[in-house]
Amino acid sequence: MSLGARLGFVGLGAMGRPMVLNLLRAGYTVSVWARRPEVAQPLVEAGALRCVSPVDVARRSDVVFASLTASADVEQIALGSDGLIEGLAPGSIFVDMSSIAPTVTRSIAERLSERGVEMIDAPVSGGVQGAIDGALVIMAGGKSEVLERVRPLFSVLGKKVVHIGETGAGQVAKLCNQMVMVNTIQAVAEALHLAAAAGVDPAAVWQALAGGSAASRVLDVSGKRMVERRFTEGMVAASQHKDYGVLMNEAFRSGVLLPVAGQVWQQLNVLMGQGWGGDDTANLLRVLELRGKTP
Amino acid sequence: MKIGFIGLGIMGRPMALNLLKAGFEVDVWARRADAMRPLLEAGAMAAQHPAALAISSDLVISMVSDAPDVREVMLGENGVSSGVSAGAKAGLVAVDMSTILPTTARQIASELKDFGVDFLDAPVSGGEAGAIAGTLSIMVGGSKAAFATAHPVLACMGKNIVHVGDSGAGQVAKAANQIVTGVGVLTVAEALNFAGQNGVDPAGVREALMEGFARSKILENHGQRMLDRNFKPGFKSWMHQKDMNIVMQSAQELGVSLPAAAVAAQMFNAMVGAGLGEDDSVAMLKLLERLSGEEK
Repeated sequence: MSLGARLGFVGLGAMGRPMVLNLLRAGYTVSVWARRPEVAQPLVEAGALRCVSPVDVARRSDVVFASLTASADVEQIALGSDGLIEGLAPGSIFVDMSSIAPTVTRSIAERLSERGVEMIDAPVSGGVQGAIDGALVIMAGGKSEVLERVRPLFSVLGKKVVHIGETGAGQVAKLCNQMVMVNTIQAVAEALHLAAAAGVDPAAVWQALAGGSAASRVLDVSGKRMVERRFTEGMVAASQHKDYGVLMNEAFRSGVLLPVAGQVWQQLNVLMGQGWGGDDTANLLRVLELRGKTP
Repeated sequence: MKIGFIGLGIMGRPMALNLLKAGFEVDVWARRADAMRPLLEAGAMAAQHPAALAISSDLVISMVSDAPDVREVMLGENGVSSGVSAGAKAGLVAVDMSTILPTTARQIASELKDFGVDFLDAPVSGGEAGAIAGTLSIMVGGSKAAFATAHPVLACMGKNIVHVGDSGAGQVAKAANQIVTGVGVLTVAEALNFAGQNGVDPAGVREALMEGFARSKILENHGQRMLDRNFKPGFKSWMHQKDMNIVMQSAQELGVSLPAAAVAAQMFNAMVGAGLGEDDSVAMLKLLERLSGEEK
């Protein structure tokens, strides 16, 4: 994909904004749209073209990216009235970098393919910092030849692109990623909770674990937050809770046993019920500490 | 009182037949025309669509498989609400006896209210046998007035009919019922498998437990069917799996922890994945035997 390619981007939140900036910096032309115009303003100042609707973005673009929150948002933007589908030309590509249900991804791809429009599902891991640094890990689903066309764009946004498989496969990989990450956060929280309850310094336990076979990135990052009791910054627990809803529905649909994830889901429910959804997922430790307290 | 009945599957068919037996005039509609035949032979009239039922009836009942179906027959094109616009009686009562999310039931109730339809959520427990015998438990949410109107009709299909509360309350009670029965089936299967794996006769264990605090209807009925290795439905595992999915979705919406139900829901997923979905939920025993290394 040459620098002459016309790009579009919808969804200019914490993830979308830095991704657009990186594409602009790499020299691409990017048309943007956000529901609230003031959200697009800083990007327009950085050289992006302002559009009045998703369909407007689609008409001006060969490749349209989306970075949205929930399945219903992507469905609405892609297929709703004034949606991308009304403006995308045959041969153009829709790249969805949101984390949504694989089933929804597949049904959107099918509708788009009726118009000759290709789709790549490309959810990411690496968080806001990864988006800013252009260091995301991109998990892609869709046809190889289509992925090859957008690969140069992905190399601007991320440091690693893995082609997982067919349409929807990227979303499945993202769910696996979320499950391993949050199940591990829960495991770390339980370990530190046990240490404290046994009268042992959690910080010392954390340090000891970091050097051995229990070491992990989650232990490093989330474990440190727990030890330092910094519960407000970092990942947004509500988004992980949303992902678990999608994950467990996928387990339901596939007839798959996920006993640990099923339990972690319940702990996330409590976290949400406590009103901590806007804070970091390290609050799973505080959920364990709720024991004995009345709400 | 004239009744319109929508959905004539495993549950709906015997329920509608019981209404005919009780002397009610019944109009029926089902997506597949051949599903209506047994009812027509028993004296029911076929309607063109749910809207037509709404026009010809004083009370409409639906018994369908999932929330989108309920929404479709109540509020979709040619649904009950469009019948109201086309001249159905004022004060029509609509009763949905399917099992769906409580929040969805509340949403449908509120949308139907705009059409002047008083909506009850009235899910049942008791399975196909209860539907045939007219001995279902019916858990009802909605207005007192609509409950009073529907009660004589419900009484022909069930015997334990409880007005639990406002809209959605019936579905909440049903979800609670599925927590108890889902976890219960898993618990009884675990106990009997544990006994068997210990080289102890599970029948003897069940008999011993029946005299103490572990006694329950599930130990009694489901336990016996496990011992008899009678896995014929009853209540199919995939349906219990679907209900547990509703329970867990509801917990997600509320931010409430259901640790035991979560395990049971996962085990029902595994049953369906293991090809036991068409068996009764007592086939949970088979799954546990396989997990214990037994080939059965």
